[in-house]
Amino acid sequence: MIAVQNLVKTFHDKARGSRHVVDDVSFEVREREIFGLLGPNGAGKTTTLRLIATLLKPDSGTAVINGFDINREPEKVRSQLGFLSGDMGLYGRLSPREILTFYGRLFGMGEAEIGRRSEELIERFAMKEFAGVRTDKLSTGMKQKTAIARTMLHNPPVLILDEPTSGLDVPTARTIEESILEFRKAGKTVLFSTHVMEEAEYLCDRIAVIHEGKIKITGTMDELRAATGRHRLREIFLDLLGLPVLTEN
Amino acid sequence: MRLHYVLTVFRKEMLDMLRDRRTMISMVAMPVLVIPVILFFMGKLVGRAEERSQQEARRLGIAAQVSNPQIRAALEGLDLPLRTGLNPREAIERKEAAAGVVESALPDGRPRVELLTDRSNPTSAVTGEKIRTALTKLRESQVREGLKSANVPVTVLEPFALQQTNVASAKKMAGNLWGSMLGYMLLLLMFTGGMYPVIDMTAGEKERKTIEAFLASPVHRLEIVIGKILTATVAILVTAALTLASVTFSIRSENFSRTPEMKAMMQTIPLDGQNLALIALTLLPLAILAASMMIAIALFARSFKEGQSYLTPLAFLVIFPALMGGLPGLELSLVTALVPILNASQLIRGILLGEWTVPVFAMTLGANVVYAAIATVVATRTFNKESVLFRS
Repeated sequence: MIAVQNLVKTFHDKARGSRHVVDDVSFEVREREIFGLLGPNGAGKTTTLRLIATLLKPDSGTAVINGFDINREPEKVRSQLGFLSGDMGLYGRLSPREILTFYGRLFGMGEAEIGRRSEELIERFAMKEFAGVRTDKLSTGMKQKTAIARTMLHNPPVLILDEPTSGLDVPTARTIEESILEFRKAGKTVLFSTHVMEEAEYLCDRIAVIHEGKIKITGTMDELRAATGRHRLREIFLDLLGLPVLTEN
Repeated sequence: MRLHYVLTVFRKEMLDMLRDRRTMISMVAMPVLVIPVILFFMGKLVGRAEERSQQEARRLGIAAQVSNPQIRAALEGLDLPLRTGLNPREAIERKEAAAGVVESALPDGRPRVELLTDRSNPTSAVTGEKIRTALTKLRESQVREGLKSANVPVTVLEPFALQQTNVASAKKMAGNLWGSMLGYMLLLLMFTGGMYPVIDMTAGEKERKTIEAFLASPVHRLEIVIGKILTATVAILVTAALTLASVTFSIRSENFSRTPEMKAMMQTIPLDGQNLALIALTLLPLAILAASMMIAIALFARSFKEGQSYLTPLAFLVIFPALMGGLPGLELSLVTALVPILNASQLIRGILLGEWTVPVFAMTLGANVVYAAIATVVATRTFNKESVLFRS
């Protein structure tokens, strides 16, 4: 479903010079799979996801999403995706219903289809009470529901979630985690980035650890354990980063 | 470019903009409320200052050291108290007298009158002017009497009559007075009216992190940026229309004109359908230019605050040429028609004066269309730059 091949992205700035933020990254995400991109802050997770979502152009390499190449058919790639970040990216002065209508139009849906699908999602995420209220007046939980509904609106086969639980309390993060599992149940392919070990261990079918722009390892939890000789993901992660694992002694 | 996507972006941006308090203040409240209030208080203040000046002059009077009865009679005719026993110079400095008159004698015995005023003080200056007029009149009447008693005809004094006639109609006079400030006010408020929506649509979108999900939709970036430019253009034109309506209403109202003549003149301000259409046509490419230029600049900002600091200096770039364009003496020519903002300011003044020509109008319009097109290209290119959109 997602095939990332040798992606390279370099950023230039006066202070730090040229940096390979994504350095020859390759991995595959299979259909109906939840794939976690795990890495510390600044590892290149967000940039990788932005490259796949065609928000950024790669210096070299490519990715193919549901048969569409990010370099050749970026619009078609985007039509296959639902994109959600931890910041949610909601328009505060618009209501959830208005946001859904706007995004429905952006994804080329007809007015009748937008109405039907919006009501379906409003019902499903119990948003009826606040669907007409300005988003900046909503609680974080309500905003999360709105953001998920927006991501799901056009029924995309692939979901890209960039640190979707970042900064959320445990009950609100649980709503997102529940949705990720539901996405898979609904036949979607999910690629998400996180630095929360428990989340990755609990949700992902397979995990890739990225550090300093390079993929260090890819596999299921069992494969990671076998490759590193460590049991818990936290230990595997620190090991791959070359950091000592803390013990009581 | 697909028009329906541009319109989708435009509709959303318009809805978002109309619900933004800051935008509504700069776009609607400034022209609709602030301009009439400023003009009303300006009219009141000027009127009150004149009244206060007259009252002060009546209270302070004239410090006079005058013995000639005719000169004294002329001063008394001014209906201001004549105060004796004061040192006129010191009295004026201490604000104990509005003006002073000191009489002395010339070597041939004729009286010499010295008029003392403090020209930095409006009350003193106005009183001094009144005294000068009264004494000039007295001198002329004494000359006439002297000529008459010497049997010399009055024509010796006035070999020919001089009459000055203003050929400008009241309409033209109003156009001249109004044209100088209308272009300036319109252009300045257009920029400030468009500033907040532009920052909100660019830096604001980055700050609120809404841009990622927006860009992750299948819409082309060109369609997004054109939708945003269209929204900013509408905001700018709405500000211009409200400014025009507000200034017209304020200037034609009772409070602005202090004299019946001024009021009558203001009623003749030439804002008919044709002139309004010409002004609108002048402003249209300029609104697109302003919208695109501001979007191209504000895109570099990471936050609303940063956007404000990037765009505020732009207001100064508008003030100077807009002000210059309204000044009399600088004629609109095919050369000045190439200078953006200055050309529009001059053309608006020319339209109100009825002094515009088709070649100059076409040149101004053509030049601004070219500038607007260049600015639009720059804005779309900037919107396509990753380093700008994802600047952190």
